[in-house]
Amino acid sequence: MSQTQLAAPVIQALQDLTILFGAPLVSGVIAHVEGRIQGRRGPRVFQPYYDLAKLFRKETVVPEGSSWVFLVGPIIAFSCYLIVPLLIPVLTTYGLPLGYMGDILGGGFILALAGFSVAIAGTESGAPYAQLGASRAMTFGALIEPTILFVVFAVGIITATDLPYALAATVRSSTGEIVRPAHILAAIAFFLVVLADTGRIPVETHSGTLEFGMIDEGRTLEHSGAPFALLRWGSTMKQLILYTILIDVFVAPWGLATDRRPASVVLAIPSLLGKAMVVGCIFAIIDNSFSKLRLFKITEFLAAAFLLAVLAVLVFYLGGG
Amino acid sequence: MPHAAPSTFTGAVDVIAVLVLLTEFAMLRAPMLRSQVRLYAFQSLVVTALAIVVAATRHIDEIYVLAALSFILKVIIVPRIVLRLLSRAEVSLAGSSAFSVATMTLIAIVMSVFAFFSVGALHLQSTALPSAALAISVAVVLVAFVLIILRSDVVSQAIGFFSLENGVSVASLVVASGLPLIVDVAFLFDLLVAVVVFGVLMRIHHGRTKTLSTDSLDRLKG
Repeated sequence: MSQTQLAAPVIQALQDLTILFGAPLVSGVIAHVEGRIQGRRGPRVFQPYYDLAKLFRKETVVPEGSSWVFLVGPIIAFSCYLIVPLLIPVLTTYGLPLGYMGDILGGGFILALAGFSVAIAGTESGAPYAQLGASRAMTFGALIEPTILFVVFAVGIITATDLPYALAATVRSSTGEIVRPAHILAAIAFFLVVLADTGRIPVETHSGTLEFGMIDEGRTLEHSGAPFALLRWGSTMKQLILYTILIDVFVAPWGLATDRRPASVVLAIPSLLGKAMVVGCIFAIIDNSFSKLRLFKITEFLAAAFLLAVLAVLVFYLGGG
Repeated sequence: MPHAAPSTFTGAVDVIAVLVLLTEFAMLRAPMLRSQVRLYAFQSLVVTALAIVVAATRHIDEIYVLAALSFILKVIIVPRIVLRLLSRAEVSLAGSSAFSVATMTLIAIVMSVFAFFSVGALHLQSTALPSAALAISVAVVLVAFVLIILRSDVVSQAIGFFSLENGVSVASLVVASGLPLIVDVAFLFDLLVAVVVFGVLMRIHHGRTKTLSTDSLDRLKG
C-alpha cells in the first residue's frame, strides 16, 4: 500500500473535533433556517461561536451558598459529550479501537451522566426555576428511558450485537433491511426520542423565555460566564451527537469513510455536517408547524414513542419482520 | 445470528399491517369525535391498499372487487353516515374517560404483546404467510376491544366495532386471501347492518340523554 493512511488515533481525534467544532455551526444553521421559516432574517450562521466567545470572556457569578458542584457540573457534562463521539460511527464505517470501549447502552449511560451532572448543578444553585427545570428534566428523562431501552433491544435483535457500527452496516447491506417494519418503527421511535431530548416542540420550546414551560433550558438559568458557555456548547454537542446517531446508525449511514485515506476521512466531515443540517431543518419545520404540548400531555407523546419502540421489538421478535 | 431481511412482499404487508395497528392506537387518543371517524376512514384506506397489494402479488382478481367494495363502503359511505349523525348531535368532544391516554396506551400495548405471544404460541411456520401481519391483526382486534371498553362515548364504541372489522379483514387478506368473494362481501354487509344499528343507538341515546357519553347509562332512571 503506497497510499498514506491515517492512524487510528488521528481519526478518533477527528471524530471528537468534528462534533466539538461542528456542533455550534449546525445549531446556527438551524436557528437561521428557523428564522427564515418564521419570516425573519434569522441570526447569522456563525452566531453560536460569537456567543460562546463572548460568554467565555464574561465573569462567572456563583449564587450564594452553592458549593463546588455548581461549577463542576458543567465540566463533567462537557467531558461526557466529548467521550460519546468516540463510541458511535461519526466519520467511519469501520470501528475504531476506542469504539469498542462501550456499546449503545454505554453511550446512553454517559449521556445520562451528563444530564445528571447538569441537573445537579442546577439544583445546587438553590434557585427555584433551575430546580424546577432540573426536576422536570429528570422526570421526563426517566420516562424516555424505556423507549431508548426498547430501541436498543430492537437494534440488538436485528444485528445480534449492541454495537452501533453493526446496525449501520446492517442498514447499508440491503434495501430489505431498510423497509423492514422493525427498523422503520425503531428509527421513528428514536426520532421522537431525539425530538424530546433536544428540547424541541412538541415537548419544549427551546427559544422561549417563559420559565414555566422550561424543561432542559431551565436548568442552566443560574449559570454565567465560562460554565454557562460550557453548558451551551455542551447542549449543541448533545444535539449533534443525537443527530449523528440518528443519521449514521438508523436513517442514512452513507457517505462515511470506508478506508483510512486522508481524503475520504476528511470528506466524511462535511458529509456528516451536511446531513445533520438537513435533519436539523426537518426539526425546525416540525418546530414551526406544531404547538407545544401541555406539560402533563408530554406523557402521551412519550407513550407514543414507547409504543413504536415496543412494536419494533414485537414485530421482529415474534413476527420475524 | 442476525435474521435475514424479509422478502419485499412480507415487508410491505407487515408495514401496512403496522400502519393499521398504529391508527387503532391513534383512535385511543383522538379527543375529537370527528377526528376519530377520519382515523377510521384512513384505516380503511390502508386496509384497501393492503388488499390491492395482496391481489397484485398473488394474482387473485376477485380481491380487486373486494378492494373496490371496501373502499366505497368503508372509506366513503360509513364515515359519511357517522359524520352526518355527529353533526346532528352537535357534540364534538368526547368526555373524559376513566383512564388517561398514556394509561390506555399502556394497557393497549399489553394487549398487543398478548396478541403477539398468543399467535407466536400457535407455531405457524410458513414461508408464504407473513406471520407478523397475522399477529398484528389479532392485536388490532384486541386494541379495538380496549377502545370499546375504556372510552365512554357511543362514537368510540361504534368506531371501535367498525375498526375491529378492519382487523379481521387484515387477517382474512393475509391468511385466507383465496376466501370466496361471497364470504368477504357478507362480512361487508354485516358491517352495514352494524352501522344501521349503531346509528339508531346513537340517535336514541342522544335523544334521551342529550349527550353521547355512556356514563349516564349506569343510572336506573334517565
